[in-house]
Amino acid sequence: MAKQEALGKRPLHVLEKIRENLAKLNEKMEVMIELQKHGRKDIQSMPDAPLDVMTLLSMPDHLRKTAMTVCRLGRATAEEIAEQTRRARAVESAYLNQLVIMGYLKKERQGRKAYFYVERENQE
Amino acid sequence: MGKIIAVHSYKGGTGKTLLSVNLAATLVKHGKKVCLLDLDFRAPSLATILKTEKIECWLNDYLNSVCEIDKVLIDLSDRIQNSGKFVVGLANPSTEAIRDMSAKDRKWEMRALGRLLALRDSLLNNKGFDYLIFDTSPGLQYSSINAIVSADLVLVATTFDRSDVDGTKRMLRELYDLFEKKTEVILNKVLHDFSSKAGKEEMQTAMKDIYQVPLLGIIPCFCDVLKGEGNIIFAQDKPEHPFAKILDEIANRIDKNTL
Repeated sequence: MAKQEALGKRPLHVLEKIRENLAKLNEKMEVMIELQKHGRKDIQSMPDAPLDVMTLLSMPDHLRKTAMTVCRLGRATAEEIAEQTRRARAVESAYLNQLVIMGYLKKERQGRKAYFYVERENQE
Repeated sequence: MGKIIAVHSYKGGTGKTLLSVNLAATLVKHGKKVCLLDLDFRAPSLATILKTEKIECWLNDYLNSVCEIDKVLIDLSDRIQNSGKFVVGLANPSTEAIRDMSAKDRKWEMRALGRLLALRDSLLNNKGFDYLIFDTSPGLQYSSINAIVSADLVLVATTFDRSDVDGTKRMLRELYDLFEKKTEVILNKVLHDFSSKAGKEEMQTAMKDIYQVPLLGIIPCFCDVLKGEGNIIFAQDKPEHPFAKILDEIANRIDKNTL
């Protein structure tokens, strides 16, 4: 009985893995499409670049809106950000991932969900 | 749900602190729970104006993550009769503290923004304050922009001075708009006669043409304000004074959420 159950779960597990990988691939493609749209192939990755107000001011408008919303919410998924900005989830996902590449945001996966946040280390 | 108001201006001497203190006091008189914070770390003035003694912790310490906000707040509710609650958080006016605050790097400013944003939760949501009022430094200072980003409403104090008008116009377009902030302009130290209704409307239309935003208030240049040498809180000490009446109207408009 137990063996049968284990066998039953396995395809499910594999499917889940495939779904996760497809989601990751999709995110990467969204970023690439967005980068192309805005002609910013030269975006430099700077690990731990501070997301201070002067940086926010100098950002292109579309990214500032996303970054400001993350600042306000503290930690959020692309869906939660999209609710606030009233833009499509896929668009927000692309902007968020772009901000991660630029080093302004951090991303953390928890199960199916990806959370984006600003790292403000040593708050002590 | 409470509201955060940042009082800002392009140039110094436009009346930010005077407006902040009197707006706070007026809202307190209306029975509101108000917290006034001095974010002008370059030229702190609330400690002198409010004549507070024995400060244990400053706002500087809160932003430096040395202490929590409760330790900074001073209850001055007894200064205003028949009132709601009035607490203040002060900036350290010592030369050493001013020097220290002006030498902060971008990472520190980013953390300071996080500390300011956290006040929405700690003071508005948890402690039930109706208003948080930030008195800021003029121009594009880090601490002021942090305050603007954290606020729901920006009140811009301006005068007829030409460089002030130009600078304020630029800030409306290139600062507040970029952060999508609700902004209201208060024209201060006005020398023109607008005692007639037609005169007042004419000035309001002219100002709207210049700034492309409506005017929240027009305040004449009152010698009594200067004579007070920063010792008078008009809302409390001279409630019948025209200055106190204008502040009353402004507070009502903010409070009724008609902006």
